[in-house]
Amino acid sequence: MRSLIAVILLAVIGLGLALCLSDMPFGANHIATAEKAGRHYLEKAPQETGSANVVTAVVVTYRGFDTLGEVTVLFIAAIGLGMVLYRRKKQEGKPPQPASFVLQTGCCFLFPLILILGVYIFLHGHLTPGGGFQGGVIVASGFLLAYIGCADMKIRHRWFEATESLAGSAFVIAGMAGLAAGGSFLMNFMPKGNFNTLFSAGIIPIIYIAIGLKVGAELTGLIANLLERAE
Amino acid sequence: MVNPVLLLAVPLGLAFLTPLLAFISDRIARYVPVAGMLFNCVVSVSLIPSVLNRPIIVQTGGFAPPFGINLVAGPLGITLAAVIALVGLAVSVYGLAYVKEGATVKYHVLYLLLLTGATGVVLTGDIFNLFVFYEILCISSYALVAYSGDKNGVEAAVKYLIQGSIGSGLALIGIAILYGVFGTLNMADIARNIGSTGILNTTLFIALAFMVAGFGVEAAVFPLNAWLPDAHSSAPAPISAILSGIAIKVGIYVVVRIVFTVFGAPSMFMLLVVIGVVTLLIGEMSAFSQNNIKRMLAYSSVGQVGLIVFALGMATTGGISGGLFQIISHALAKSLLFLATGYMIYRSGSMEISSLQGMGKRMPLTCCAFTIGAFSLVGLPPFAGFPGKFMIVRAAIAQQQHLFTFLIALVLFGTIIEACYFFRIVQAAYFTGPREEPDAGKQRREEAPLFALAPMLGLLVFIIALGVYPEPVIRLLDSCAAELLNRFDYIKGVLG
Amino acid sequence: MSFLFENSYYIAAVGLILIGLYIMAAKKNLIKVIIGLSFFETGINVLLIAAGYIRGGSAPIFSHPDMQAGKMVDPTPQALVLTAIVIGVAVLALALSLAVRLYEHHGTLNLRKIRELKW
Repeated sequence: MRSLIAVILLAVIGLGLALCLSDMPFGANHIATAEKAGRHYLEKAPQETGSANVVTAVVVTYRGFDTLGEVTVLFIAAIGLGMVLYRRKKQEGKPPQPASFVLQTGCCFLFPLILILGVYIFLHGHLTPGGGFQGGVIVASGFLLAYIGCADMKIRHRWFEATESLAGSAFVIAGMAGLAAGGSFLMNFMPKGNFNTLFSAGIIPIIYIAIGLKVGAELTGLIANLLERAE
Repeated sequence: MVNPVLLLAVPLGLAFLTPLLAFISDRIARYVPVAGMLFNCVVSVSLIPSVLNRPIIVQTGGFAPPFGINLVAGPLGITLAAVIALVGLAVSVYGLAYVKEGATVKYHVLYLLLLTGATGVVLTGDIFNLFVFYEILCISSYALVAYSGDKNGVEAAVKYLIQGSIGSGLALIGIAILYGVFGTLNMADIARNIGSTGILNTTLFIALAFMVAGFGVEAAVFPLNAWLPDAHSSAPAPISAILSGIAIKVGIYVVVRIVFTVFGAPSMFMLLVVIGVVTLLIGEMSAFSQNNIKRMLAYSSVGQVGLIVFALGMATTGGISGGLFQIISHALAKSLLFLATGYMIYRSGSMEISSLQGMGKRMPLTCCAFTIGAFSLVGLPPFAGFPGKFMIVRAAIAQQQHLFTFLIALVLFGTIIEACYFFRIVQAAYFTGPREEPDAGKQRREEAPLFALAPMLGLLVFIIALGVYPEPVIRLLDSCAAELLNRFDYIKGVLG
Repeated sequence: MSFLFENSYYIAAVGLILIGLYIMAAKKNLIKVIIGLSFFETGINVLLIAAGYIRGGSAPIFSHPDMQAGKMVDPTPQALVLTAIVIGVAVLALALSLAVRLYEHHGTLNLRKIRELKW
């Protein structure tokens, strides 16, 4: 009975989606005219924001308010997870077997390289594919590797919380600075620099550094909380 | 004039700073939500006169509306932001006294972010940005429902999370379809593209259905409200107050904004009216049969949602301002009721209605607040519930259709049920003695602490003031109704 | 056959959405329900990306002076998906932490056995 109702509901949803999708053929140029936002971004983003990567320009400047919300959502997840798992009972049972020497050495060798890759990705967010979120995830994956490989590694939770908090505040302060300097929140008020070089695109790299650090710290905090290694 | 974007930026900045403040002292961190909500209260109230003249359109990033995200601080948005800030302020003061154990700093951060999300939803003019703020609201409430970490709280949170994320997923599908068809996300731009035909083609209708069904989960209209009684009854008292007082109102706002402004779909109005009445009757009848006081209040919220949706679905100035008045009066009264019950449950140690016997003597002030809140919900003059219900009845009769006369009779029947179950509690609290009296000489007076009584008193003052002198608010709400009904003014205001 | 190739992204998106919803409706284990939720969100993300594709378009990055704006895909859905993915991660993390708590209370993740969780 239950699964019958579920199947009928699913059929309705699937049919509705199929009807809609027949109205928007795959690959059609739906942003052909200049007043569409997507076309405007492609034509004008290099001049208006100085960022070679248009997706980054959209994420950080045109839809920067969304990104602030997105950072907040991740912040909520980190805080909420810490709250839900607050002072839970320690699992009994034997501690995990330590990793072998080869594995430990490998992890310790890879850990800094992964961090450097992550930092590279979020520093070059306005030039190459990637950005603050992607770079932050790579940084956090480095910490995950270190956790799994080096069994004795402990995390100083306070440092991560402080990073998270400072980076988030830096994002809001950058937005406020835009409001003060240019009259509009998150305005790109800094010089645009030379197109397609590292020091360009005004405020975008600064915000992406803040996001990268914040995402890295938050996801590491999530991993630490779930693995019960936090102090 | 203050820039309305500060209503979002300042609380967000404060929330990000709170963990740093907590390193210095937990005591300071506790006052952060109070500070944030006080700021929002002052700013949003000070903005009301200027938005009555002309809605303020705020650009972010310095890009004109269809390209950048914009905030639309119209009468409706600012009024709701003011209500959110006001109730949020009262409940955050209550939280100072009530929230003592567990991860208190994390609680206060999430509480502030929940209200910021709600403010963002009512102010934004971009449909995807609305989705993002809606998710901020939802995710922080999933976490806060499980704050106490006990069995019921976690189960309710899991249920709420699963149903809520299915809902927001469906809403996102609707947004994706709209973007695929029109290539824009700005609500005014979508509305302009849809035009004024009044008849939607299949694709648009399906998109509308996805979005109404998705956002309807938070609005708790009839088939989508299975999560509500559990979530609202297992959360800590201040969170129940916010969920019932603010979060479901934001859900209703989203549904109404999409149906009225974005789609301008008169075919949906009748559906809203019918769903409203069904939700009302189901909510009130379920509330009547509860023995657990918090579940009863939660089901009563379902009933009130039905009444509000019914009023808004009438789509006349009278109906909409009646519904909005009911939104305000319910936000005040229901949060007052949850706050009062919080300490009554805390003192009696049980959520059963029968355990509240004799509470009128034990905690007279709290009980008095509860009684006035209940009277206001039922719609007795001179409290805030009366003008709202009166306006709704008047608007329904002004429709001059037999159908509406019949429906308003059903609504009044629901109100009678509501009166029955509220008077049952009032009777138990005042007119029956305590069940067992260990030693009669020790008739203790255990009033709630001052920090809990002060916000209740504040809400009470507003309830009575609104009930005695509703005209200015009704005038304000009439221009909110005009904003909803004239979608071309909205489009012209945003896009120029 | 060409229809299938033409619309393979749409078919994948709708398929993932429906599979995810079915898992959530039919499975008893909370972890499986959360996996279903993840399927559902992935399906929506694929749908968003597919809606922004323009035939023959390249990635919207001006990495080379010869790149033309006319030959690029729509950047907006990619930005939206970035946001949607992050929101999905947040919901999943919170859901898993709730699952940990639920297991501590009940010793099981079977939703049918947890009495109050009827839906």
